Amino acid sequence: MSQIKRSVSMFSLQDNYARGKMSLEDIFKFLSGLNVGMELISDQMIKGAPCPSDATLDRWDALVDRYQVGLVCNDIFINTNLYRNRTLTTKESTDLLIQEIKQANRLGFKLVRLVSMTPPEIIEPALPYAEKYNVTLALEIHAGMSFDHPMTKAFVDVIHKLASPYVGIVVDTGIFCRRHPRVSSNYFRHFGTSEAVIKYIDGIFERGTDPKRFYANQGGYPKELTDLFKNEQDETYAMFSDGYEMSEFSKLDEHMPYIKHFHGKVYEMTDAGIEYSIPYDELIRYLDEKGYRGYISTEYEGNRFVLPGDEVKEKAQVIMHQEMLKKYLDALER
Amino acid sequence: MFDNYVFTKGSCKNVEKDGKTIGFSLQTLITYYRGIPCSMIHDVKVSVDGQEVDRRDIRFSPNNRDYFTLAEMETVTTYKWEYGEQATIFVEKDGGLQEGEHEITLTTAIRVAYIPVPFSGSKTRTVVIA
Repeated sequence: MSQIKRSVSMFSLQDNYARGKMSLEDIFKFLSGLNVGMELISDQMIKGAPCPSDATLDRWDALVDRYQVGLVCNDIFINTNLYRNRTLTTKESTDLLIQEIKQANRLGFKLVRLVSMTPPEIIEPALPYAEKYNVTLALEIHAGMSFDHPMTKAFVDVIHKLASPYVGIVVDTGIFCRRHPRVSSNYFRHFGTSEAVIKYIDGIFERGTDPKRFYANQGGYPKELTDLFKNEQDETYAMFSDGYEMSEFSKLDEHMPYIKHFHGKVYEMTDAGIEYSIPYDELIRYLDEKGYRGYISTEYEGNRFVLPGDEVKEKAQVIMHQEMLKKYLDALER
Repeated sequence: MFDNYVFTKGSCKNVEKDGKTIGFSLQTLITYYRGIPCSMIHDVKVSVDGQEVDRRDIRFSPNNRDYFTLAEMETVTTYKWEYGEQATIFVEKDGGLQEGEHEITLTTAIRVAYIPVPFSGSKTRTVVIA
């Protein structure tokens, strides 16, 4: 039987929450109905985070008690650019991380996700707090800033050096895109990106590589691409396209002992019940073979590519992704 | 990408104090997916009928009670602009907006730790002042 478990990131329901269509209680109910765990973004749904009031904490405790939803991971951010005129010092950033560790423990989480570009030097000084409060610190490996990015590399080096069960990584599956998300193409098309540029970038994926590697190999945007640029939207589209990577799963082999969690990225669940860009069937077989025992958390990002005036179908997309994950996981058990 | 959150529809109106119209205000959600300390709000711009408002005339309130100038905001670290909460932007202007139709544009930009350029969002609305 597969040990892989399912959860939903609150990133997926951000529009429903922002527009007041779902309260935190509605979200607990929704997750409880799906029988899946919760990945929270405390800065998003906990007022006053990372130092919420007693009243806010009481409300949280009541929801956790009532709905019995598993608390899988809390996504945190170190505000290194809190001030306009300088970057926080290592001490200041470390203090913020310690505050986050205490908050995670208080809310009931044993894992926090640190966003890409978190300064690696704050991990070692915060480690005694991670141990004391039983909170694991895991850096997100995200497309556009993945394993080959210097700051990600420096961080992964620290993880391998410390070799502590309290440090690791969270992998965002956006590094396994086989094609450019078409919901993003449609969105940019609406705002004026040229058809020729969209087609050119689709062609990069068809060649079996991704824009980030392709541009890097050419020393920047190739001339045949810049010749197609007719407006600002064309260049913006080309720039954002390096946020979709096409890595081999084997890229994870050496990091497997440190992988604590996955963000199961969803740009678009199609009518056929698959994610348009990411081959989840293959990914789940790979992870099962490697003995991964953690969670895959649905992170629906298609919400930001909905055209003005169109309905944002966050709940439906989350349900479809969860059904797909369940189908692939069940298939492993036969 | 967060443009749909900027400048809440129907929120722009003149503001009266002691029987005098002292300016106008409008509301907006944050152009991000989490709340942040107000010091991370990099810039707020308002323009009226194509004319940009002097930034010294702009006040920002994360809670519709306490107001800060943009210069003051650089050190406002203990108030958060919460996700999903309407912030109020007040523009000081004697007499407020004149009766009739106006094209009002609101732009907000915030600093994000993992992206080198501030995230911004902008929205223009046609506003009718009765």
